[in-house]
Amino acid sequence: MKESYRQTDENELIKASINGDKFAFSEIMDRYRKLVARTVKGMLGDSVFAEDIGQEVFIKLYHSLPEFRGEAKLSTYIQKIAINLTLNEIKRRKRFFSMFSQKGNSEMYEFEVADVDNQEKREATDIVNRALMSLDPKFRIIVSMRMLQGYSTKETAEILNLPLGTVLSRLSRAQEQLKEIIGKL
Amino acid sequence: MKSEEVKNLIIKSLDADSSPQEMAGKLENAGVSYDFSRGFGDKVIEKLFSASLSVNREVEFVRSMSYVFNRIALTGIAAIIILMISIFLMEGSFSLNSILGLGNNYDESIICMLTGK
Repeated sequence: MKESYRQTDENELIKASINGDKFAFSEIMDRYRKLVARTVKGMLGDSVFAEDIGQEVFIKLYHSLPEFRGEAKLSTYIQKIAINLTLNEIKRRKRFFSMFSQKGNSEMYEFEVADVDNQEKREATDIVNRALMSLDPKFRIIVSMRMLQGYSTKETAEILNLPLGTVLSRLSRAQEQLKEIIGKL
Repeated sequence: MKSEEVKNLIIKSLDADSSPQEMAGKLENAGVSYDFSRGFGDKVIEKLFSASLSVNREVEFVRSMSYVFNRIALTGIAAIIILMISIFLMEGSFSLNSILGLGNNYDESIICMLTGK
């Protein structure tokens, strides 16, 4: 049943999902799960928490599909949900850790590079994870969107609702930080 | 690809003159990949559709409760109306005593009954 949706147009999938077709929604998930994984895991690290947030992203997407007007691409819409939920999680955890622990931000992430099929890939992903996790969250999101998703500076500014100058300056400062961090990795 | 090359790619990917898509592609080719664990989709579907199933059950329960309430309320209103009519026919008024079923000399009878005099 699910296979019959492989070639289906995205708008049809959305309509079917709104009508409660779980196979159609499952196909939407298959198409965008890597996009969400890059966003969420790029910001939270490769942890069980990221898996939970990933699930929340798709649950929220399912419930908000009736409101999706198709003015933006579905990928952009999903991306925004993923970014908002991830930023909320970072804020929540920051509050929690500032209340109950003296540990720094870098210690609140778990690294479980799972499901990466070989050692070389595992190492490459691990280096990127460690580099990203060492950055301040406001730099991390911009770097992750450019580095992992391939968004241009203009697209990043649009998605995050930030002035272009802010994105450019954050990228430049993040690059400076990354040069120092990567030297130590 | 060696880790040094991955590190260089990370730095280069943030250069203003680099193409973000090309650099993201190079990093992916270098093995930088993100995905959720196996069974991720099934978990989401289970959460979504078992949740809607329980919502349906709740809606069904509320509907049957409201049906039962309507039946009880209508019967109750009919009983009250019949009672009021019968009180009016028997007592000829809607005074508190007639509604409570008390006679005019009720106070004295109670005193007699309690004191035995």
